[in-house]
Amino acid sequence: MSTVLSVENLSTFFKTDKGIAKAVENVSFSVDEGEMLGLIGESGCGKTTVAQSILRLIEYPGKVVAGSVYLNGKNLLKATDSDLTGLRWREISVIPQSAMNALNPVYTVGDQIIEAILLHDNVNKKEAVERTKKLLELVGIDGERWKSYPHEFSGGMKQRVAIAMALACNPKLVISDESTTGLDVLTQAQVISLIKNLQKKMNLSVILISHDLPMVTSICDRIAIMYAGNLVEWASTEEILKNAEHPYSKALLNATPDLSNPEREVTSIPGSVPNLVNIPTCCRFHTRCPYAFDRCRQETPEFKEIKPGHYVACFLEEEQNG
Amino acid sequence: MWKFVTGKLLQYVIVIMLMLTLNFLLPRLMPGNPLVFLAGEDVGFMTSKEKEAILEKHGLNDSIVQQYGTYLKNIFTGDFGFSYQQKRPIIELLKERLPWTMLLTGLGLVLSTIIGVLFGTISAWRRGTKTDANLLTMFMFLSAMPSFWVGMILVSVFSAQLGWLPVFGAESAWSNLKGMDRFIDIVKHLILPLTTLVLISVTSTFMIMRYSMLNVLGEDYIMMAKAKGVKEKVIKYKHAMRNALLPVATVFMLSLGFTLGGATVIETVFAYPGVGRLMFESVLSRDYPLIQATFLIITFSVVIANFLADLIYPILDPKVGKHNG
Ligand SMILES: Nc1ncnc2c1ncn2[C@@H]1O[C@H](COP(=O)(O)OP(=O)(O)OP(=O)(O)O)[C@@H](O)[C@H]1O
Ligand code: SF4
Ligand SMILES: [Mg+2]
Repeated sequence: MSTVLSVENLSTFFKTDKGIAKAVENVSFSVDEGEMLGLIGESGCGKTTVAQSILRLIEYPGKVVAGSVYLNGKNLLKATDSDLTGLRWREISVIPQSAMNALNPVYTVGDQIIEAILLHDNVNKKEAVERTKKLLELVGIDGERWKSYPHEFSGGMKQRVAIAMALACNPKLVISDESTTGLDVLTQAQVISLIKNLQKKMNLSVILISHDLPMVTSICDRIAIMYAGNLVEWASTEEILKNAEHPYSKALLNATPDLSNPEREVTSIPGSVPNLVNIPTCCRFHTRCPYAFDRCRQETPEFKEIKPGHYVACFLEEEQNG
Repeated sequence: MWKFVTGKLLQYVIVIMLMLTLNFLLPRLMPGNPLVFLAGEDVGFMTSKEKEAILEKHGLNDSIVQQYGTYLKNIFTGDFGFSYQQKRPIIELLKERLPWTMLLTGLGLVLSTIIGVLFGTISAWRRGTKTDANLLTMFMFLSAMPSFWVGMILVSVFSAQLGWLPVFGAESAWSNLKGMDRFIDIVKHLILPLTTLVLISVTSTFMIMRYSMLNVLGEDYIMMAKAKGVKEKVIKYKHAMRNALLPVATVFMLSLGFTLGGATVIETVFAYPGVGRLMFESVLSRDYPLIQATFLIITFSVVIANFLADLIYPILDPKVGKHNG
């Protein structure tokens, strides 16, 4: 399978009053064709920042300070504005966090989908309208409603519209950033399974950002786990479930109830996420890690492959295997 | 749509009737001699025959119901009574003053809105930069200046020192200018008061626009437009400005209602023959019928502006359209 997106040593910092917030540092992962990658982590760990860095949407006071993002071999971070216009939506699109607010309230939903189509594909207005109707039907909304305004839809329907919009120009990669925030559990499940079905049907690559571990493990092929701006573990879903190596991953798994094994005790992770402003060199998890030792407080563990396709950033592995 | 319009219309007709009734009752409920109210303090020098004539002329000897009927009939036929101070029918005074006021305050409102919106947009678009900081400081400074002071400075520089522009009035008296010459003369007289008016009123629009635009720029749909590959200019004008203008439109409509009241201070400083100055003069000379008439005109225009706003707002904001239509 070929790699669609490859992120290498990505670092994105924010300037704040108190100093530099290292929101994302040295993050590397990739997404294959037709793959669904789950990117998970606690609130504030930098998931949206990763997504926006890939999409080149980081604005002042933020800045991508290092790394590269290759989309089908092209470095997005080096792309010119006109290159970007060509790439956006045709190659890579996004279903944003709180898709409720992703629609402009003064234009009809149809107009907003049509805008994307007309911008990127060489079709006339009539064809764009036809495609928009088809897209809406694809996500389970009556095509004739393309003339409705966003406020005339329910939250779940707006979510679907946002999905339809993301698919408007047949992108290769879709980033779904916690796109079910604010929906009730049932609607969340519907939206997620819709994304999954469309992904299979259209052979899309999807980055599914979430903090819902059970949901991610149930539908993603691979999982990348973030903690405080760093990627700490990345492997296939199966491998994560069976052989999670990083203490944070293990803690995360233990913090979620396991329906197949109700006997197992659910334990929360004590302590809280460190402040990312002016954070010193260290393993960022050391304040909460039960195995932390001296080295963890002075050096940052390298994110490296311990088994084929299984990456971890932790000193324990090194110590154990010499 | 028609149901909505007629419904609104009915609402406003009721409001206007209430206002007219209040306007009718208030002076009649006030203690004191109604003659003072009509003819001013001069009644003391009138003979009893003259007094009786005035009472009779104004129907003050009729029953209150009759009086109310006459009052309504007069208002709707454009008869606002007589100004004993100026010795002229009030409607004539208004006809003379209203065009100048509309020219000055109407243009002032339009110009300050356009300028405020433009700079507010630039400021918000470049938030956090030097341009933004400089614009903010400049507009704050403008808003802190009293209008008579700005007016006096402009007059002393452009009229007294440089002699470029006339000091007062709306056009040169007894000059008998025609056509283009008259137009130029009017423009010359308008420049200083208009500039003063714009300078002192532009800051509020600027602030509203800047703040509203800042909010809109932080919205997810702006980021989405960018992610879709929409060009910066299109994002700025089609996506952001269209939304950010909504609060400005509300304020514009509200201010529109007050334009007929004129700009009292500026009209006084520049001796501009507008309604604002007429009102000022009428208060000074206790010309009650005139005061009442000008207030009535202002209330009318506020109500009409609100009605227009109600009609236009649903077109601007689809969310409002749904609730009403
Ligand atoms: N505009 C900004 N200015 C300063 N700091 C920012 C800014 N945007 C994000 N950050 C910081 O970057 C870090 C990562 O934020 P991000 O939104 O990427 O987290 P997230 O993982 O998406 O969280 P959530 O699950 O709540 O969406 C946070 O610590 C946040 O404080
Ligand atoms: S590096 Fe040290 S602190 Fe970090 S997870 Fe591993 S053991 Fe814990
Ligand atoms: Mg986020």
